[in-house]
Amino acid sequence: MGRVSESVSEDINRFMELAIDQAKCAFDNLEVPIGCVIVEDDEVIATGYNKTTETRNATRHAEMEAIDTLLEKWQKCGLNKTQVAQKFSNCILYVTCEPCIMCAMALSILGIREVFFGCANDKFGGCGSILSLHIGEADNKCSDGASQSKGFKCTGGYMADEAISLLKSFYEQGNPNAPKPHRPVRVQAPQK
Amino acid sequence: MAAPNEQFVDWEIIHVPGNAPLSLEDSTVNVVAAKIEPKQASAIIRQLNQICPLENLRHLKRVKKDKSQGKVELSIILCLSSENGSSIEAFPSGVRQLIDNYNLSSFYAKVSKCQATSKEEWEEQCKLWPTSFHPPTNPEGVSGLDAEEIKSIYSSMKSVMQLVQSNIQHKVVNAAVIVNPFNGQIISKAQDDILPLLKSSEENISWNSKNEEMKYKWSENKGVACVNPWGWLERSCQDHDAMPCDSGLAWHPLKHAAMVAIENAAVRDRRLFPNSSPCNNDCYSELYSDIGPAKRLKTEEAQLTNQNSEIGNGLTSEATRPYLCTGFDIYLAWEPCPMCAMALVHQRIKRIFYAFPNPRVGALGTVHRLQGEKSLNHHYSVFRIHIPDKALSEIFLEKLKD
Repeated sequence: MGRVSESVSEDINRFMELAIDQAKCAFDNLEVPIGCVIVEDDEVIATGYNKTTETRNATRHAEMEAIDTLLEKWQKCGLNKTQVAQKFSNCILYVTCEPCIMCAMALSILGIREVFFGCANDKFGGCGSILSLHIGEADNKCSDGASQSKGFKCTGGYMADEAISLLKSFYEQGNPNAPKPHRPVRVQAPQK
Repeated sequence: MAAPNEQFVDWEIIHVPGNAPLSLEDSTVNVVAAKIEPKQASAIIRQLNQICPLENLRHLKRVKKDKSQGKVELSIILCLSSENGSSIEAFPSGVRQLIDNYNLSSFYAKVSKCQATSKEEWEEQCKLWPTSFHPPTNPEGVSGLDAEEIKSIYSSMKSVMQLVQSNIQHKVVNAAVIVNPFNGQIISKAQDDILPLLKSSEENISWNSKNEEMKYKWSENKGVACVNPWGWLERSCQDHDAMPCDSGLAWHPLKHAAMVAIENAAVRDRRLFPNSSPCNNDCYSELYSDIGPAKRLKTEEAQLTNQNSEIGNGLTSEATRPYLCTGFDIYLAWEPCPMCAMALVHQRIKRIFYAFPNPRVGALGTVHRLQGEKSLNHHYSVFRIHIPDKALSEIFLEKLKD
């Protein structure tokens, strides 16, 4: 994890708290409790939480929800693609759990500037745990003229305990949406 | 493999396994062997099995039989070759004695390190030194598919290839079709949807004017979202900016074909089963609870059996509703990027078939190999379909005639 001064770290935690609030919204909606906020110039411009259950689309992660909010908002304002790309390159994402491989790749495609996350995602994290999609390709332009890949700065561990305890209590209560429990759910001690 | 139908001459289906194929160096081990007289064979085998059993190489046959000039020649594995052991002193003492007793001249040989997982691999192994092969009871590769199924797989692949021609300036785009393999029902269809579509009239004019000279160039695939995911910014089509359509967005950098197909499948599910309580998304549960993958697999299998038996009745009741895309296959023209490949994990797709590898960001064998990432909570099987050039241009011409 990169070194940050105390005041910067306070700022990060301030936004991470808002991401946790989003995760709580997910929890209240019986969704896997992961939430995020996207910040531009120190201001929250989009929020999102997991909606995979409601939409029956398992790709509707918090990040995807927030991204779609922005794409819609900016297109309604009449921004073109270049301007939208410019906007994303100035945005910071705060998310309670390390983005999965799908979301990490999406964030790279959009060219987000930076990501802060809470707990690591040992099962399918795309920012260091399983793949490292936040690190762009070494060669700048590939030979056949395809567009350059984009990396982003990514650090984790902010308010990780809060993020984990939300996930724990979600599975502890025995997900009410589960069709039929196979056996009583016991919760293991957190992995770290 | 023989083509199951003359419609699909020279088509080929190739399993893309979860582990990268090992190099010869990694998949073999050196042993010390010697030629022996056939009549001494049984005595030597008996002694060697006591002195130097091949504990971790049980798939290997101890004796190799060659025929040269009508004569049978037998070779036997004496022992594993030690790291630095080029000299006879390095052999186990019992083996040294045996060499002396029978006056054997030893030589080095390369043999396969692990048991073969497929017939093809086994045949390769036997070229080095014979091994035994026990086909897996539940083959995940091509050998588990019968001719009838391969034919329907090829048909589905063909229908995807008919979708790869975009309405935009004749560019090729990726296409996806999600199919229920039990009854062939198409669950959803999609194309890359990154740019706005042109008005249909413009499209028709340009199609017709170019029909004759147009040749499909599959290598010109910069317009394929998964192949060039960061290209959305440069791909301008007379900048149709700021024209949001009714559905909301005029363009969307993440609407790769597979993502759109998943969304369409979800919409279909909500439409067919409007009142059902939403299913649990347990994607993170393994992090925080102890429901093991084996348990989950059983439930999914039970669900499938259930589904299979009820399809004959044409029921679309709760009982037949799969969890997400459990049990469904997806066909893609191009190998998906990591975003799409992971989305297909999340949505619980059963098998993925693609035609063209994605050299730069392919996530299913070319650059990454998500199907082999043990930590993921769901694993699909991946197959590549090789379509001969002739068939590709025929598919393209058929489409033009429509």
